[in-house]
Amino acid sequence: MAKCFSTLQFHPERCDGCIECMTACAQAKAGTDDLRFSRIRILPSINGSGHELALCRQCADPVCVMNCPSGALTKNADTGVVDWAGDKCVDCLLCTAGCAYAGIVYEAEVGHVSKCDMCDGAPACVAACKNGALEHRTEARLFNGFAEKEDMFCPGLAACHGCNSELLIRHTMRMVGPDSVVAAPPGCIPGMGTVGYNGQTGAKVPIFHSLLTNTATMLAGVKMQYNRVGREVIAVALSGDGGTADAGFQSVSGAAERNDPILFICVDNEGYMNTGMQASGVTPYGSWSSTTPVGGAMQGKRTEAKNLPVIMTMHNCSYVATASPAFLEDYYAKLAKAIEVSKTGMAYLHVYTPCPTGWRFPSSMTTEVCRMQVRTNFVALWEYDPENGLRFTHKVDRPEPVSNYLKMIGKYRHLSEEQVAHIQRTVDDKIAYLDQLTKIETHAAASAH
Amino acid sequence: MSVATAKERPNTNTPRSVVVEGNEAAAIGVGLSRPDVVAVYPITPQSSLVEHISQMIADGRLNASLMNVEGEHAVLNGLQGVALAGGRTFTATSGPGIAFMFEPYVRTPGLRLPMVASLVTRDLLSPQCVWGGQQDAMVVREAGWIQMHCETVQEILDTTVMAYKIAEHRDVMLPVNVCHDGNYLSFGVTRVELPEQEQVDKFLGPAATNWHIALDPLRPMGVDPLTGGSGGPGARNFVRYRKGECRGMQNALRVISEVHAEWAERFGRSHAPLIEEYRLDDADYALVTIGGMTGAAKDAVDIARDQGEAVGLIKVKTFRPFPLEAMTKALAKVNRVGVVDRSVSFGWNSGPVYAETLGALYHTGKPIPAVSFIGGLAGADITAEHFARAIALTRDLKWQSGPREPVWLNEND
Repeated sequence: MAKCFSTLQFHPERCDGCIECMTACAQAKAGTDDLRFSRIRILPSINGSGHELALCRQCADPVCVMNCPSGALTKNADTGVVDWAGDKCVDCLLCTAGCAYAGIVYEAEVGHVSKCDMCDGAPACVAACKNGALEHRTEARLFNGFAEKEDMFCPGLAACHGCNSELLIRHTMRMVGPDSVVAAPPGCIPGMGTVGYNGQTGAKVPIFHSLLTNTATMLAGVKMQYNRVGREVIAVALSGDGGTADAGFQSVSGAAERNDPILFICVDNEGYMNTGMQASGVTPYGSWSSTTPVGGAMQGKRTEAKNLPVIMTMHNCSYVATASPAFLEDYYAKLAKAIEVSKTGMAYLHVYTPCPTGWRFPSSMTTEVCRMQVRTNFVALWEYDPENGLRFTHKVDRPEPVSNYLKMIGKYRHLSEEQVAHIQRTVDDKIAYLDQLTKIETHAAASAH
Repeated sequence: MSVATAKERPNTNTPRSVVVEGNEAAAIGVGLSRPDVVAVYPITPQSSLVEHISQMIADGRLNASLMNVEGEHAVLNGLQGVALAGGRTFTATSGPGIAFMFEPYVRTPGLRLPMVASLVTRDLLSPQCVWGGQQDAMVVREAGWIQMHCETVQEILDTTVMAYKIAEHRDVMLPVNVCHDGNYLSFGVTRVELPEQEQVDKFLGPAATNWHIALDPLRPMGVDPLTGGSGGPGARNFVRYRKGECRGMQNALRVISEVHAEWAERFGRSHAPLIEEYRLDDADYALVTIGGMTGAAKDAVDIARDQGEAVGLIKVKTFRPFPLEAMTKALAKVNRVGVVDRSVSFGWNSGPVYAETLGALYHTGKPIPAVSFIGGLAGADITAEHFARAIALTRDLKWQSGPREPVWLNEND
């Protein structure tokens, strides 16, 4: 698998043109305030509003390197930075002709071409930017780390085109690793062949086709026996929302109350998608489903979804968090905590995983739909533990109207204006409620200051 | 480790004996069998059984993990997890508890998990009731669990230990319900003799629950993938599993007999493994009984014998697997039979043991007059007088083709 690298990201909407970044760069690279020595340039936008960035992109296939006749420019395989070696440069300037980003330029005062070298991973420009217009993005570490881990499922699971759940469970089990036992109750996850058919399995870890109703308890039993014999095994549930919120809820609730040392992941696609898109207790208001159809007398689901992750926090189990596959950095951070926590107590992750087949949107749009759920506050990303209470991990300051999300999804196609307005109100109320929960100061937090 | 309680008292005949109720006798048997995990949830008339075990664990007399769960469904789920990870398990339930447990219950034999659970038999709802009866055991008789019904408190203790050896036998690998009658046996107090722990350890050996199927990262496998469907290997695979369960059940008939024989040899107490023939060899007719009612029935047989009646008795201990061969041999000795049930087969308008006795009669090659008695429902007594009436009615039976109405023993109490 190809390696990815950290990079500098520019948010033009946050840039006010203060050029502190350029001063910081000139100081860092030449010890001067002379901006001609800066390797980053903020320029007035060509259309007259805002600013643009001229900076080396550290291209994966850099034209400057190809153009260089002397070997002075090389792509560093370890850091990803396009390195310039002054002792080899012949000042031909062919590199500047090749760069489309004005990322390598010649200044007479400097005396040779110069380009960004990423300050050895701690860019001075980023530190100097007060508006957060420059960011040193590190997602690449996630990607590279992922590549080093073994996929715990075989290729060719039979999930639908564009399925989020398959994406999620592959990511999850790479991190959990082989010293684990997985329970998958009936639903899409075993349906795609993870547990297997007729004696053949799609998993490389011990995996069990649990009942819809018993997943948490059965795992707790497995874990209890391994604790007795002193073996460390991560017990993971990959359960749909029906196996968590509906028929499985008693089992989940009991395990959470006992704080059984398991990692329970609810893969929430808002209904029984595997059996033909029937509604569950977490199907949102207004949704079409095959058991909340749309007709003259009924326009989709008539009641609200229960807020299962919030209910889980009321059990005081060790860790509860929500997550979205469009925010994998956020998910990975929570997953790492959850794996650790699950060695001694219950960790519950509720992952919102839109279903292209059941919700009726193009399979190419899955991640966009996930992202829009968060941008509209339809889905809130937060985490909870009994010591620190609840906190948002990705607060959306200026949420888009929920209609922007609803119109992406076929199952909401029939909604009336009144229904959309109702959903907007409940989204607002849900965020306000969560916001109040974030303000509760626990005893542990209080004694910390 | 000692599992006996403060009520322990010296006895001249045996090294140790205690005076306990049936539920405590079961708890002692469990303790001697050294389970890894016991999952508990209360239900009348079983509750004191798991209370005794909980206390044994709390006192440190039993080194097992206690799983306090939120219902009978969870009880069995948790224990399936334990067994798949290699642990020996125990739980107990009754009536509505086994109804709630049904989903994981029917799955346990298919997974071939050698679990042991006490079924303290209780009548089922409705009418709402909390008293003894065997309706619960009869409703689940096709689930694939072995069922052994005890007659005495001592037999409860001994059978509970034996159950582990039977369940975990490589030729069996099936779950066992050790059944004893709610109220009568669960709370009936008698003296029982205690086997020595060291002897029980030698008798049982280490747990062997997951050599065939496991959730273990050292032996990764997909446990219970979808199996079946038409086309492909599914159909024959499914048949292979079902035939395997049936074979395990048939093997259990032999293993149950062997284990009971070994028990008698090691511990000096003998219990009939499959059926017990009581005063049957020279009998003209017989009663068939099951479970705790048998004591009163034997008294009634003795009284009738004193009065010159040629009556005998067949007690069913092992009801699943059905001891067809033993029953056929026993029934062949008599000319009329009356079967006493503490439960109802709604579809047959009779008791279920009666309906199955008719199945065994087919194999004797001689159709004989038979009648179904139903008594002891919802805690009602079946006294020696009730049995005397059953004996008299059986003696006077004439051949009748077609269905015969059951006799409801407590109808006019």
